[in-house]
Amino acid sequence: MSIDEPALARMMAAAQRGDRAAYRALLGDCRRWLARYFARRIAPHQIDDLVQETLVSMHRKLATWDSDRPFLPWLAAIARYRWIDALRRQRDAAELQDDDASVDAEDEAVHARLSLDRMLTHLPAGQAQAITLVKIEGASIAEASEICGQSESLVKVNIHRGLKKLAQLIESE
Amino acid sequence: MKDASIDDLIDGLASELQPVTPRRLSRGSLAVAAGWIAGAAALLWLSGMRHDLAGGGMMPALPLLAFWTIVALGIAAAWSALRMGLPGVGRDYSGWHWAGLAALAIPVTALVIAMGDHHAAIEAARPENGMGCMIEGALSGLGVAVALFAWLKRAAPTSPARAGWAIGIAAGAAGATIVALHCASNDMMHIALWHGLAVVLSGIAGRLLLAPLLRW
Repeated sequence: MSIDEPALARMMAAAQRGDRAAYRALLGDCRRWLARYFARRIAPHQIDDLVQETLVSMHRKLATWDSDRPFLPWLAAIARYRWIDALRRQRDAAELQDDDASVDAEDEAVHARLSLDRMLTHLPAGQAQAITLVKIEGASIAEASEICGQSESLVKVNIHRGLKKLAQLIESE
Repeated sequence: MKDASIDDLIDGLASELQPVTPRRLSRGSLAVAAGWIAGAAALLWLSGMRHDLAGGGMMPALPLLAFWTIVALGIAAAWSALRMGLPGVGRDYSGWHWAGLAALAIPVTALVIAMGDHHAAIEAARPENGMGCMIEGALSGLGVAVALFAWLKRAAPTSPARAGWAIGIAAGAAGATIVALHCASNDMMHIALWHGLAVVLSGIAGRLLLAPLLRW
């Protein structure tokens, strides 16, 4: 089913007036749109959580949509904000943990690579390698250190800086 | 299970929906204008207006040009901050960057003048000749800072760091224009350094102190 911008805008305007049926239909359409949006940006096992977080954020910020403007850029801005927030949480987790949870399934790792490969090209090689090994391939800090020849501290620093840079790149897109 | 939980979430959000009043830039602008006027009223009430203006006179040309340049920076930064509260991919919030670049003409002019009169420049740069202006300028912008922060706190800024900068620069520029109505100095070095520092330090304070509070 295609998403129709004018229809979404009408439903959103009705939702701002308190129309619950229109709002329920709008949330259903947004859920599908968001699932596709995040599918290209984050590992599959995280998509549902991000969709839910974004729907809640959208609910809290309903009043910030301007009915003179299209709806989808507003939704995309909120989705992008939640995505950056998720990246930041990953960065913070990398700071706290020596070992990062491995990605559950190999196909999920492949999807994550597809979504991140383009952005990783903008990072210095050491940062991209550290993120690839630990955050995508699921290696421990010690294993990543051995593979790439960086000290364990440097691997952590590179992950921290790399994820921070990624968040900035996404914000500036 | 996830599908069911998202369905439940949607039902829950829909059932608790209440009508909302869309946030309007015009209302935010009025709040900023009120904060600006309140800051000016407070400083002029406490410290008084500079004598030439109070007597119906005008500032000399260069300080007047600096004044309006800083006014433009304040308006541009405040407008950008207000717009940051209504998000949308593809929207451009960078207008205040250009106003900031234009405002660099003030310190450049001051440097050129200082090259011709080192002694006066050194005197103007002494803290006892300008620290008070800087502090009064930063404090006078608090009304604008409060108005913008309150607006953005209830809105949805998707880059809190940039929003923090914009609030700080807008507040600092507003404060610098207010203090220019009180400070009798027409020295460009004084204006560029001490009034300019109020803008820069307010911007840094906005970035460091307000940005974390704007996350949602």
